[in-house]
Amino acid sequence: MKCESCNKKLATVHLTEIIENEKKERHFCEDCAQNVTNHFPKAPSPSDILTSLINQVSPEIREMSKTTCPVCGISYLEFRSQGRLGCPMDYNVFKKGLLPLIERMHGSSQHVGKVPANAGAEIVQKNEMIQLRKELNEAVERENYEKAAELRDKIYELSGNVEDGD
Amino acid sequence: MEIKDLSDNTGEWLRGTGKESDIVISSRIRLARNIAGYPFLSRANLKQRREIESLLRKTIIERKIAQDISYVNLNQATAIDKLFLVERHLISKEHAEGEGERGVAFGKSETVSLMINEEDHLRIQVIRSGFEIKSTWDTIDEIDNILGESLNFAFSSRFGFLTACPTNVGTGMRVSVMLHLPALGMTKHIEKVFNAVGKLGLVVRGLYGEGTKVSGDLYQISNQFALGKSEKEILSIIESVIPRITSYERMARKALVMESKDQLEDRIWRSYGMLKAARMITSEEILQLLSQVRMGVNIGLIDDIEMQTLNELFVLTLPAHLQKLQGCELDSTQRNVIRASYVRKRLDGL
Repeated sequence: MKCESCNKKLATVHLTEIIENEKKERHFCEDCAQNVTNHFPKAPSPSDILTSLINQVSPEIREMSKTTCPVCGISYLEFRSQGRLGCPMDYNVFKKGLLPLIERMHGSSQHVGKVPANAGAEIVQKNEMIQLRKELNEAVERENYEKAAELRDKIYELSGNVEDGD
Repeated sequence: MEIKDLSDNTGEWLRGTGKESDIVISSRIRLARNIAGYPFLSRANLKQRREIESLLRKTIIERKIAQDISYVNLNQATAIDKLFLVERHLISKEHAEGEGERGVAFGKSETVSLMINEEDHLRIQVIRSGFEIKSTWDTIDEIDNILGESLNFAFSSRFGFLTACPTNVGTGMRVSVMLHLPALGMTKHIEKVFNAVGKLGLVVRGLYGEGTKVSGDLYQISNQFALGKSEKEILSIIESVIPRITSYERMARKALVMESKDQLEDRIWRSYGMLKAARMITSEEILQLLSQVRMGVNIGLIDDIEMQTLNELFVLTLPAHLQKLQGCELDSTQRNVIRASYVRKRLDGL
C-alpha cells in the first residue's frame, strides 16, 4: 500500500481517526505521517532510551559523560562500561562520579590505612590525623569519653603541625 | 629454576601446620600496587608495559624479596606451565589468561609470590599454612615496605593506594582464609555461615577465588571492603570471625558423629576405599573423596595418613600437575587413569 499523501513511499503508519462517530482509516509513509499529525511522536532511538535509563539509575553518568582524562585519554563512559580505570589521575579527574560509587562499594571514601614507605612526613601526619579522628568518633559512639578526651588532645597536638583539610 | 623442578613437591602452605590446621587450610593476603607515573595496564602501551615489567622484576630481585627467588616470564610460558602455576596458587587465572609482557616471581618455599602486570602493575601475595593471619601480615607488610622504599607507588591521602579497579582502592588488600567445611556442607548449615559472614562485610568464594565454584568443601572467606578501614581493622575482623566458623564446623562434626555415626563412617571408609582401589578418578570426584577422607582423619577415624599428604593431593592431582609429572600432554581419560594410580601409590606409602 502506498502513502496516501505523497503516493510514492510505502505506507507504514496506519492511523484510525474517529470524527463524529465516523471511523476513517488513513495510511502514510513515516515522513508524511510526521507532517500530517504533529502529535505523532517520533520513536525514540535506542541510544535515547539508554540515556534516559542511565539518568534514572546513575545520575552521575550524565554529568560525567563528557569528561575525559587528559593524561590517559579514557572517558568516564569507557570506565563505566569496562569497570577499570585508565591511570591513577582518573581518581581526581572522575572524582565527582567515583565518590558515590566508592561509597557504595566500600561504605566509605576515606583511606585510613597504610601509607607508602617513601611517603613524605606530611602525608604520614595527615594519615595519622584521619585515623585519630575516626577513632575519636568511634570512642564517642561507644560513650568512652576518657578515651575520646585522650584522642582529642592528640589531635590538638598534631593539628599545630599539619595543614587541616581534605 | 625450571617449572618441572617444582612438580614433585608442593608449597609450604600445604604442610598442614599452623593454628586450626584441621579446618583452616591456608591464610593468604594480597596487596595491589601500581607505579606512579604510568597508566594502569588497560591503557599502557607496549613500551610502558615492558618498562613496568622490567622495573618491578629488577627491584624484586635486587631487594631480595624472598629466598631463592624464581622468575617466570608468562608471555613465553606454555599453556600447561601457566595452568600449573594457577593450580599452585602462585598466579591467578586472569594472570595466566592475560596477554603481553608479564610475569611472576616467587620464593623457594612458595610462601611469597609477586605477580607483575596482572590487573595492577604489582600484586604481592603471601600464603601460609593454617590460621596464621598475623605472621602472614607481618611478612607482606615488610615486603611492601621494602619495595615502597625503592618504588613510587600511586597513592592519594584521600583514596589510599590507587588501583585499576575501584573495588581494590584504599588498602589494596584482600585477606583470604581457605577453610575445609565438610560437616557444615553436609548438614546444610553452610548457608547460615554465608549469611552471617555477609553481614560482617566478608564474602565467600570458591577454591580459585572470584567467580570459581566451591568443590571439595573448600571455601575462601575474604574481605569485601578495602577502603575506610585500616589493614589492622580488616585483619581483626577476619581474625575474630574465623574461630567462630571453625568451632561451628567442629560442633557440626560432633553432631554428625553422635546422630548418624554409621552413615558418616560408611561414607568416609567408602571414600578411602575408592581412593585406594579405583582405576579412574575424575578431577571433580577426587575433591569429594579427599574431602571425606580428610574429615575422617580429623575426627580420628583414619590414622594412617598424614594431613600433609592429603593437603598435597588436592593440588598434585590437578590436571597440569599430572601432566608435568608424566612429562607429556594427556587427555582427560588418560588423566583420570594417571590420577587414580598416583593416588594409590601415595596412599600405599610408595
